[in-house]
Amino acid sequence: MQTWDQRLPIYQQLADLLAAQLLDGDPPEGQAMPSVRALAGQYLLNPLTVHRALQALGDEGLLENRRGLGLYVTPGARDRLRVVERERFLQAEWPRLRDRLRRLGIGPEQLEWEPLA
Amino acid sequence: MNATEQDLLVQASHLTVRYGARRAVDDLSFSIAKGRVVGLLGHNGAGKTTLMKAMVGLAGAEGSLQVLGLDPRRDRVALLQSACYIPDVATLPRWARVEELITLMAGLHPKFSADRARQLLRRTSVGLSDKVKTLSKGMVAQAHLALVAAIDARLMILDEPTLGLDVLSRKAFYEMLVDEWCDGERSVVISTHQVEEIESLLSDVLMLNEGKLVLSLSLEDIDTRFVALSHDAAVAEQMVAAHPLLRYRAGPGPGHAALFDGAPPAHVQALGQRMRPSLVDLFVALTRKPELDRTQF
Repeated sequence: MQTWDQRLPIYQQLADLLAAQLLDGDPPEGQAMPSVRALAGQYLLNPLTVHRALQALGDEGLLENRRGLGLYVTPGARDRLRVVERERFLQAEWPRLRDRLRRLGIGPEQLEWEPLA
Repeated sequence: MNATEQDLLVQASHLTVRYGARRAVDDLSFSIAKGRVVGLLGHNGAGKTTLMKAMVGLAGAEGSLQVLGLDPRRDRVALLQSACYIPDVATLPRWARVEELITLMAGLHPKFSADRARQLLRRTSVGLSDKVKTLSKGMVAQAHLALVAAIDARLMILDEPTLGLDVLSRKAFYEMLVDEWCDGERSVVISTHQVEEIESLLSDVLMLNEGKLVLSLSLEDIDTRFVALSHDAAVAEQMVAAHPLLRYRAGPGPGHAALFDGAPPAHVQALGQRMRPSLVDLFVALTRKPELDRTQF
């Protein structure tokens, strides 16, 4: 069963998890999110916790409420997420990764990595 | 649990159940609002089953108890129209086919929907023509839940529903329960001692110790009232000496955790990192004799 980190509120962890899925196009922009109950069943969470997570994603403009239909992925949500994630990577993760690469003496030529054309 | 009178599905006040001289349930006062998922936690013999029996009129109780506005002992038939119950000793007849059980339920219970039962069973691997004796333990539990959840009731009471099931069956059981039952109006009470497994499902906790209610709180309020601090071994002594310590757990590596009932002094809080209090830690702390706790370290 899913385990949750005790250092963060569960709704926050679920919001992060769902955001990561949205970034991968699941569900795609313009499509409906699974219902609160379906998500609660899938992750074995109290529906109130799921509701809070979806609300947090809504507050970030990633989901929109279509009256009577439920929550949908906002058009442009992936681009917004990508901008936020890129910023987070460059600010928080890259400096640590760079330090580690330097400590290990790994140069760019040893990283099998091709930027997207 | 803040709710107006009519939103309360269960109201107990000074509820006591005696077996001879022993008080199996001792002076409990609590309420359960609509739309909640309530965990009834306690060790074996703590009074969980007795309390559930009292809630459906199967155990005579002193004090006052109202379930769905009714007296369970006096109005048992009316109550069971809108409250459903799977006891810990529940079995389905081994010789029966699932479809026959649906027919039986449709004849017995005015609020049972055969269509709904078939719809719920479609999400399981249980077939309508299967005989109960050919089903695995996990499938029997799911079939049982489907039959009970097909009753248009407001309160479901489940006594140790997943005891003896493997992890996938337990997950499937709770998945169906949450997805098909918890609609924000109906409530469910689940007794278990597999606390960590259902913690994230719960909205409220009732914790029993030797018949007494030691905790009746929403998960939200638990996060506010109790302060859990993870910290390094180096500051362990200061943690243990601080007030109001409830439990101390020396973990492997950096996993030391102190649990306080209320906020410890600011200089102590600054020594650790605040975490969500775990229900297991609370359970261990509150369901033992308190004088044993301080000698833990």
